[in-house]
Amino acid sequence: MEPRRRHPLTMAAGQVLGVMVIALGIAALFNSAAMVRAGESMKRGNTRDIVLSIARPLDDFAGAVGFHLPRDGLDKAFSQQSKTGRSRLEGGSTAILRANKRKQRRQGFFQPTRQHEVNLFVTGDSEAQFVGEVLTDMLPSDLFDVSVVARNATGLTNPEFFNWEINARQEIAARHPDAVVMVIGGNDGFNVAVNGQLYGPDTPQWQLEYARRTAVVMQDLGSNGTRPVYWVPPPTARDTEFNKIFASQNKAVEQAARAVPGARYVDIYSTLNHGRYSDVLKIDGDKVLARQADGIHFSRAGAVAPARLIFRAMAKDYEALRDASN
Amino acid sequence: MPAVSFPTIEFAAFFVVVFILSWALMPHPRAWRPFILVASYVFYGWIDWRWVLLLVGSTLVNTVAAQVIARSPSQTARKRALIAAIAFDLGLLCTFKYLSFFVSQCDDALDSIGLGSPLPLMQIVLPIGISFFTFQAISYVVDVYRGETRAASLGDVAILQAFFPHLVAGPIVRANELLPQLRTPRDPRAVLAGPGLFLIVGGFIKKTVVADELARKIVDPVFNDPSSHSGLETLAAIYGFAAQIYCDFSGYTDMAIGLALLLGYQLPQNFNRPYLALSLQDFWRRWHMTLSRWLRDYLYIPLGGNRKGRAATYRNIMLTMLLGGLWHGAAWTFVIWGGIHGGAMSIERWGRARFQGFRMPAWLAWLITFHVVCLAWVFFRSPDLRTAFDMLGQVFAGGPSPLLTLPIAFLIVATVALQAVRGDFWERAETWLVTRPVVAQGIAIGAILVIGDAAVGQNGVAPFIYFQF
Repeated sequence: MEPRRRHPLTMAAGQVLGVMVIALGIAALFNSAAMVRAGESMKRGNTRDIVLSIARPLDDFAGAVGFHLPRDGLDKAFSQQSKTGRSRLEGGSTAILRANKRKQRRQGFFQPTRQHEVNLFVTGDSEAQFVGEVLTDMLPSDLFDVSVVARNATGLTNPEFFNWEINARQEIAARHPDAVVMVIGGNDGFNVAVNGQLYGPDTPQWQLEYARRTAVVMQDLGSNGTRPVYWVPPPTARDTEFNKIFASQNKAVEQAARAVPGARYVDIYSTLNHGRYSDVLKIDGDKVLARQADGIHFSRAGAVAPARLIFRAMAKDYEALRDASN
Repeated sequence: MPAVSFPTIEFAAFFVVVFILSWALMPHPRAWRPFILVASYVFYGWIDWRWVLLLVGSTLVNTVAAQVIARSPSQTARKRALIAAIAFDLGLLCTFKYLSFFVSQCDDALDSIGLGSPLPLMQIVLPIGISFFTFQAISYVVDVYRGETRAASLGDVAILQAFFPHLVAGPIVRANELLPQLRTPRDPRAVLAGPGLFLIVGGFIKKTVVADELARKIVDPVFNDPSSHSGLETLAAIYGFAAQIYCDFSGYTDMAIGLALLLGYQLPQNFNRPYLALSLQDFWRRWHMTLSRWLRDYLYIPLGGNRKGRAATYRNIMLTMLLGGLWHGAAWTFVIWGGIHGGAMSIERWGRARFQGFRMPAWLAWLITFHVVCLAWVFFRSPDLRTAFDMLGQVFAGGPSPLLTLPIAFLIVATVALQAVRGDFWERAETWLVTRPVVAQGIAIGAILVIGDAAVGQNGVAPFIYFQF
């Protein structure tokens, strides 16, 4: 499939345009759900509005006619995430946020031994990658078997793009982890719909809905308290707008963690650098370039800081880590 | 990076509009030139418009320098203009690409001798494609200086540098390859659609079905945490990365060349079945060909090439490959990657001179070459040296290998084996595609797009590896 120059085969530009339009038309029709997802994942603005204004009606039509079927078959063939199944992410009661009596009781979790290590699953958005890798290095490898799966560009406010509730159920069923670390929130600036009304991230309704969605996924990851879930919302951001959203998310996650058995809120927002954003952190006496160029993600060296906070949170549940965390 | 990545909805819409307008304006060069330039700047500035300013600045400086070189009767003035342009280009590259690495290394060094960490750590955003358009600019002024190409107008140089199919990840185009094409309007009745469409579709499959699949299922999990994986999985991840980077990078350049062909322009070939190479020298004639010819013409030969004795030749090979490694980024992993290639090429050259008349069996030469390339890829892919050595140490580890599935093994083997398929087979496939009715071609390509999107699933198409360089 390398370029060759012998026997060039030519067509008129108009014919080439015809081929392109038909090909893109077919792709749009049979991939309409993917187009909606792609639109949903774009930044707010004209491009997103244009894509969604075309993709949504097209998706309704394709769904009604049955054009989704070939794509569903291909998704199965490639073992992609099923889009079917009921989701509580997009709607449900905030009763899930009521303080849970089981939460008050001291929870005991399976403790690792050299014969049976703890199977720890670290997941979340792109921030989970470095944090998970560093945490893997920190934890004693004879006691903790860690797997890291980062789902880039995902969040809880855009389930049409990636549904974390469905994914959580599938991952738990497939991996049977003993503990979960969830590092997520950097892509959650989208408005959310509550009872047909849209709310922006600067409203109390958004914060409540975010807490509800967090609790839904926490419940699934923790299987209602049978395993600990260490939930790590975003740190401070360089951009002030992001910073406000992240502050709101942290409050929401704290609220959700109070309600869900087994859930632990790991605060890296107000603890690192006293809640002030800085590209540079002091780690073990050394200045470290802790953030990436976007002013949100941790660098690999900087990921040591949040990973230590997760380690400390885990040490409260795992005796084997207590000495090391002091 | 949706707008600068070819397999996205935004780019598809952008390209259809550009295709229509480009051919409509083609008979009117005065309208076509500003149009294609603006289109290219829109493409590049989609993520950050400030990058366009950088590109425009580079174009202005290099155009002025080339004009001075072309017009000045004084050799001294010509040389000064050349040096000024190269210093500007390399300065740009160093500022964006190497300054923060250099500062952090100095800081560490000062700290290690007890002077603390006095230098401010910096975070500099790397504009996409800066390495490519900078190398292209250097080749243009050097070619003008050497009399290999004529100094072009500001508009032509701007299009040469910014033409969107090759702007962000190559191929690295030389002035005498594109400028003559810009001077003659293309014929809308004879678009090279056969190779163009075939390259676009082939590149799309390489990227979505092979590269991203291998990255997700074997390469990323193992390189992220080598100690948790068995030797078999580690080996599969190393071979998998060799297949992934080939399909990712050659897939991108296939699409770039195909898109340019549909607009009526031919870009140089960048890959020629590299994993069939029987020596490292052969590999570099087949892999990222436009970079290796750049390194040869503007670095290796000016250093003296093989004209100054054996020791100087080895030194020049080593220097060229080390700098080729550093071109990819400021990290010791890239330096070692370049060092392995430079060292292996020097050993090859020494062996040929020492054991004249000895011919290694082709299968053995292939096996050695492929594995040296794979060894170097371990350093290229690893985020740091520790990970690279962990990977190599883990190759001999036992344990179960659940990540090494039949489809993954098939993708790796198929990527290497398909390179042995003769060129005329692909030409027949091209012929078959382009001689179908327009509707059949459209349906066939549409079906491939659906399959490719299903393969990447909800993760979306990952950014191309070479965007970071």
